[in-house]
Amino acid sequence: MNLLKRITSRHLMSPAGDSPDAGAGEPEVPDHQLIKSCQGGDTRAFETLVTRHRGKVYAMVQNMIKNEADAWDLSQVVFLKVWKALPKFEARAKFSTWLYRITHNVVYDWLRKRKIDSAGELDDGLLSEGDIAAGSRTSPSKVARPDIALENSELGDRINAALATLNAEHRETILLREVQGFDYKEIAKVMDCSLGTVMSRLYYARKKLQTLLSDEKGKD
Amino acid sequence: MKKEKTEELFVKWVDDQLSPEEQVQMDALLAEEPSLEAELYQCRNAADAMRAEIPASVEPPYGDFFNSQLMRKVDHEIASHSRAKKAERWWQSFQWAWAPAGALALVLAFFAGHRVAKPASSGEFAAVPVTGQLQLIDELPTVYFNDDQLKARVIAGADGEVSAIVVDGLTAIRDDFDIVTVSTKEEKLPDSYTRAEATRFR
Repeated sequence: MNLLKRITSRHLMSPAGDSPDAGAGEPEVPDHQLIKSCQGGDTRAFETLVTRHRGKVYAMVQNMIKNEADAWDLSQVVFLKVWKALPKFEARAKFSTWLYRITHNVVYDWLRKRKIDSAGELDDGLLSEGDIAAGSRTSPSKVARPDIALENSELGDRINAALATLNAEHRETILLREVQGFDYKEIAKVMDCSLGTVMSRLYYARKKLQTLLSDEKGKD
Repeated sequence: MKKEKTEELFVKWVDDQLSPEEQVQMDALLAEEPSLEAELYQCRNAADAMRAEIPASVEPPYGDFFNSQLMRKVDHEIASHSRAKKAERWWQSFQWAWAPAGALALVLAFFAGHRVAKPASSGEFAAVPVTGQLQLIDELPTVYFNDDQLKARVIAGADGEVSAIVVDGLTAIRDDFDIVTVSTKEEKLPDSYTRAEATRFR
């Protein structure tokens, strides 16, 4: 099926960015009010805040590390850190940027720790493009089972597979931009880098993603 | 044009966020390289595909359990934090007493050390004449002798500036006491020296 057609149909079927609270009909307490209550030690307000943002944090972590169980645990770590750091949170800062900054730190700490723990072991999940010699085979050559092959042919899976080949910085940049809808400055704040670095990472990530998706399309 | 600038232009073109100035620069680039536009359109499609296929929010499995687990950790954190605060407050409440307690401990240590160091016998307490009256005081030094016949008194001024040790029971030194001959050093002196000295004394 044509790529653009698929996108359009997907858009019509399920609008992206649905939150679990959407359509509840009840007026939502704004984040800044909940944060104020949390800063006063209100754990119920914190739970509301967690319920509101856990989906986004979990999705981001899951997209970064590609492991459900670890993503679940790391999301817990993120929110516990949020609770501990909330007294220092300044109202003028944007909560989502701050939340993703903590998420970024937790994920990168985990990746670093995992890299150290598995030093000497082969871990495909941690191999980035730069670690692989040019011209070497990066995937097994055996023929996949028909059901798996069918599953892999789905566009979402192809994108996920393409994302997995990007290094952590490129993957995070493109996820923050395309999936979470952050602007360039916000991405720079979350990733603690310059605006130029964000542009460069975004450019290379998009180019690589486009190349990988075109290659996959060519195979179909 | 710098590489960084062209990358920025491409990124902004895909996001449709070029300023009028940047649009002019981009048009120039596209005019130079017409194949670029198709490539950028593909990038834009890929970005659209990502937005469509990857959800921004995914509920973690067992959402209620996620919350209950987290809130248990938060409660634990609150409890440990309040315990630490309580302990800190307890220490802080005694902060005013540290200086006097330290001073008292120093004084006690000084007296205790002094008492322990004082022997049970030999010597005598000092006597201080204060307006014609002698008073026994502890603070003055103790004098020791290996002869039980000897007794000592330490006399000090009331301000403690002047002190004297009076020893009783000493044998008076005879007038003809020859220090040179009784000196232990004499035995070691050369004979010629002793003779010369004897001659000189005569």
